[in-house]
Amino acid sequence: MGRRRRSSSGDSTSTDTSMGGGGGDMGGDGGGGGGMGMGACYVYPIRQAEVPALDPDPDVVYRRGIDMTIPMTMDDGRTVNMWGFTDLGAGGGGMGGMGGMGGSGTFPSPAMRVRQGQVVQTQLQVDMMMFHTIHHHGIEPEYRSDGVGHISWDVNGMYTYQWRPMSAGTYFYHCHTNTVLHAEMGMYGALIVDPPDGPGRAFEGGPSYDLEAIWAVDEIDSSWHGLSWEAGTCGGDVGLNELNPDYFIITGVDGAQSALSHPGVAVSMNVGQRLLVRYICAGYLPQQIRFGGLEAEVVASDGRPLPRSFRATQLDAVSAERYDCIIRPTRSGVHTVEIDIKHWITGEVLGTARTRITVN
Amino acid sequence: MRRRTFLKFSMASLAAAAGSTAGVLGWQPRAHASTIYKTFYITEGFITQVTGEDVYFRGFSSSTSSLNIPGESMIVQEGDTVRITVVNTLGTSHSFVIDGMVDSGTIRGGETRTLVFTARNPGSHLYYDSRNAPYNRLTGLHGGFAVMPQGRSNQLYAGSRTFRQQQFWIFNDIDPAWNNRVRYGYTPNTEYRPRYFTLNGLVGRPPGAPGAMDPALDAMADPRTKLDGHLGDRTLIRCLNPGLGQHAVHTHSNHMEWLTSNSQPRSEVWEKDIVPLDGDGGGVDVIFPFNPPPDAWPVVTNQTLAQAESEGRHFAFPMHLHNEMTQTAGGGLYMFGALTDIYYHAD
Repeated sequence: MGRRRRSSSGDSTSTDTSMGGGGGDMGGDGGGGGGMGMGACYVYPIRQAEVPALDPDPDVVYRRGIDMTIPMTMDDGRTVNMWGFTDLGAGGGGMGGMGGMGGSGTFPSPAMRVRQGQVVQTQLQVDMMMFHTIHHHGIEPEYRSDGVGHISWDVNGMYTYQWRPMSAGTYFYHCHTNTVLHAEMGMYGALIVDPPDGPGRAFEGGPSYDLEAIWAVDEIDSSWHGLSWEAGTCGGDVGLNELNPDYFIITGVDGAQSALSHPGVAVSMNVGQRLLVRYICAGYLPQQIRFGGLEAEVVASDGRPLPRSFRATQLDAVSAERYDCIIRPTRSGVHTVEIDIKHWITGEVLGTARTRITVN
Repeated sequence: MRRRTFLKFSMASLAAAAGSTAGVLGWQPRAHASTIYKTFYITEGFITQVTGEDVYFRGFSSSTSSLNIPGESMIVQEGDTVRITVVNTLGTSHSFVIDGMVDSGTIRGGETRTLVFTARNPGSHLYYDSRNAPYNRLTGLHGGFAVMPQGRSNQLYAGSRTFRQQQFWIFNDIDPAWNNRVRYGYTPNTEYRPRYFTLNGLVGRPPGAPGAMDPALDAMADPRTKLDGHLGDRTLIRCLNPGLGQHAVHTHSNHMEWLTSNSQPRSEVWEKDIVPLDGDGGGVDVIFPFNPPPDAWPVVTNQTLAQAESEGRHFAFPMHLHNEMTQTAGGGLYMFGALTDIYYHAD
């Protein structure tokens, strides 16, 4: 416990400030820093003495497991392996590949949906020789419920996060262990906070809606998808500084073709109805979404109402931004929504994911 | 080769040099404008990265024997006369530019130039070398320059939301191959592939890593970089990006109040947990309000923080870029990138 080793990457030209130069003997003082003999150097086991007491009477409890074998078939026929969280509360059991608890994993992971003011507990069960966490992105709890390894700990075994969301809006949750890899591998799901009265209104005092779409737009670099969970945490060049995506997806559906008609993504609505689009920039690269000629009223971002809504036919977003948009078509038609995913340095469009709003 | 004659620096020496200025920057308004003097020395050398790789840099340094990446930040007051002397200790030509305020033109190798200008345009600015753009800037010739509005100690610009303390977050991304081309006087001729991602010249050193919690080494412990506050210690953060990548600045525990983009005040202040930061010289100003984390249960009070301190626990959260490639070093080593920590303290 608490000891780390140094990988053999690279030659060391030696200053004591570098990571080169052989094994350190750091950490282990309760301040984190320690491999678990699993070959992982910079992961942080739970310090049991610090685990806080939980509310004995929570309003909502989620139970999440891990599945490291979630095949996703792309429109070109290739299969890419994804990782994700399972819903143990819904009976997700059995053993997934690679020893993953669950075996019923989906990509993206099952959504969480709670009401403003509810006390929520998220139990994470990791029954494998590896570490994961859940960070409820945009939710701002006490530090031990924030799911960040080096601040608190990474989870091996079972741990419960506790939070009470106080702002209705669109969020998502994701793994925050070796995040660069784990979130790219698909370890995320939507997190919706409804106002106290429940779904149907974006936030207290905000606009109502008749139907909603959750579009978590992401890019996948399939060359990363053969890496192990701890890749790079001991050092060594595993290429995590370069993301070269070859697939562009919307809420787990290939945006090349499938998302144009997939019932979980594409929208069919009637003239006069109000659609709430919960747009999540779930990848790492900048995006631009265009609403296919429709005009949206943008009412909230990152789980907070905007001081004044504005109308837009397109939006730019960067990693993990969320925008809540009300669309109320006035005539029938078919609108192809396009999301460009752009290189984070050159701005070059690397790919476009598409879905559709059909107005009857 | 020449390399033996070059300065070679550890990150510790860099931060120590830069650390001579205050961590959280204090500011007292003056009734009258002053003349502000500052000398920068353009120097070069190698900095050993956390992987052990030596990477070449040039900087606007505080002495002939140091290499400051970024250069020391400056805060002046609107209307001040600023006299900046640039001593180019190298054999190559450089410049010193603050857009809209001063442009030295070419400062030849070995030349010393004094620039005199009036501080205007309250807000956050980058000073940088505009020659051979963007290569010289990327190689380290940049720093932060803030102009406080006249007579105000707690506003970014007249009428802005107020703050109690302020600091800079200067992000950079580094492709050693490009820096090496600049070293030899060539234009980089390869695709830009950054391998290191710094915040105020440092990277994170997570617990257990050599240098962790060393304020001279660890971006999570450097007083210029980490956030420290009591409840209500609203902190202005001047984010500047001399690098080329577009970033997503993400704070845990509080949403940021987003005041400006690229020096332009936003018409309305949005509360955001992600703020986009453009590459190639982009900037944003945000206020981190140091409110209790709003979604904590039980609620967090000053008493909560006092209890944590009495038990020796850090009540802390991270700030990191969400384009997570930036959280790596040398293609791996997650958490050794552009991140820092946010520490809550009891009154």
